[in-house]
Amino acid sequence: MNRYLKLVNFEFERFFRFYLILIGITILSEIIGIIVKSKTYLNRAHQEINVNLMPQSEFIEQFGKMSIYNFSQSGWFMGPIALCIVTLLIYVFFIWYRDWFGKNTFSYRLFMLPTERMNIYFAKATTIILFVLGLVALQILLFPIEIQLLKWLVPSEFRIDMTVPEITENLYYLYLLFPKTLIEFILYYGTGIIAVFVIFTAILFERSYRLKGIFYAIIYVAVSILVFLGPALFDAFVLEGYFYTIELFLLEIGAALLVLAGAIWVGNKLIKHKIRV
Amino acid sequence: MIELKNVTKKFGKKQVLKGVSFTAEKGKITCLIGINGVGKTTIMKAIMALTPIDSGEILINGETLNKGSYEKVTFIPDAITMLPSMKISEAFTFMADFYNSWNMERAKELLNFFNLNETDRISELSKGNTAKVNLILGLALDVDYILMDEPFSGIDIFSREQIADVFTSHLIEDRGVIITTHEINDIEHLIDKAVLLDNGVILKEFDTEEIRETEGKSVVDVMREVYRG
Repeated sequence: MNRYLKLVNFEFERFFRFYLILIGITILSEIIGIIVKSKTYLNRAHQEINVNLMPQSEFIEQFGKMSIYNFSQSGWFMGPIALCIVTLLIYVFFIWYRDWFGKNTFSYRLFMLPTERMNIYFAKATTIILFVLGLVALQILLFPIEIQLLKWLVPSEFRIDMTVPEITENLYYLYLLFPKTLIEFILYYGTGIIAVFVIFTAILFERSYRLKGIFYAIIYVAVSILVFLGPALFDAFVLEGYFYTIELFLLEIGAALLVLAGAIWVGNKLIKHKIRV
Repeated sequence: MIELKNVTKKFGKKQVLKGVSFTAEKGKITCLIGINGVGKTTIMKAIMALTPIDSGEILINGETLNKGSYEKVTFIPDAITMLPSMKISEAFTFMADFYNSWNMERAKELLNFFNLNETDRISELSKGNTAKVNLILGLALDVDYILMDEPFSGIDIFSREQIADVFTSHLIEDRGVIITTHEINDIEHLIDKAVLLDNGVILKEFDTEEIRETEGKSVVDVMREVYRG
């Protein structure tokens, strides 16, 4: 346990500088974005109302009021989030491959540590999960700041005020990142965590058997997806809707746990007995 | 004692180890000799479970390798096993964090011996100095056995001399060492036992002192006999 925590700390620090850059880009882009979007809106309002003499009510009818929702549909908001998602998706792979590639042979050191090798696997997974949750938390902290900024920048007659839950509910593409209920949180993030474990085990297949390993990894991932979707597919195509929603839900949970257990069990076998540096 | 019993290993279609058996005792320097590609490094990696073997058995003090074994045996590969971005002091802290057997006093002693500065970053060191830091990372562990893969490969003459001096010092005494080389000249006078390998097979295993006394032959003489027939 002790060495596991040390490994988590070590893995976290290895990416931390880059992570801070991601955080910086997100904060800067969103703060600048809300200012730019507000100014653009107000400039247009000024142009239409004061120059073109359009009545205020007609302007609002035509262009709508300014809200965080308008901002959340812009590149200023979506851009850094997409960047963070893509970076972390790449890092799920890079967190392993960086130990093999380059001039150093750090994988030798990692696998010669006097600890269960699965601790390396769990530490890397924990690091990824912490990074994801950290970015989601950052976003949740940024919303109230952006709400306040909008209040300062845009007069109330041109503004719709939204609460944080109202914002997250309306984020069409990102509703998965901000679940409304605990159950949804467990479902979405649980699925994400299982996906990370499955990808890690697939990477270990490749690192153990190299070229042949890619083939094994593809089969392994396909089987995992099939098991994960098994109850839903079976219900839809074979039993034609036999199960109640709650029954299907419980079966899906069972299937997900099975995939997770499989990933850990196979991952342990590979990292302990088959891995090559 | 480290024992290899009939170890086999295949990479794809190539049989790299074809039933390798030998022992390396504590307090002795055992040298695996053979040209490049005969399986020396694979044997080292197999002992450390860094590559799986297909059959056979490897025992360290009578036990198969487990997580505790890494406090008893260490491997110094031919490239440094630390992140290049680390300072030497950070590499030492990493080792102290994870290994109970890490001896910081000895690490600092070796650092002085090699005239290195702990604030230096690994990526900025010369090849010779990087090899020395790599050596320290292994030697400063209070382990029973040290495996070294080509410690003299590609480094300057003065660094070679310094590293060779380590072998005759208290840093190696009482420990078991397995060292690989394809150039025997640097260490011929240091080794207690030679294991001659070719094409994944052990051709001869002998005590260097004994063969010198009984047959009046040096390691190079025996190598000539074995490799050239």
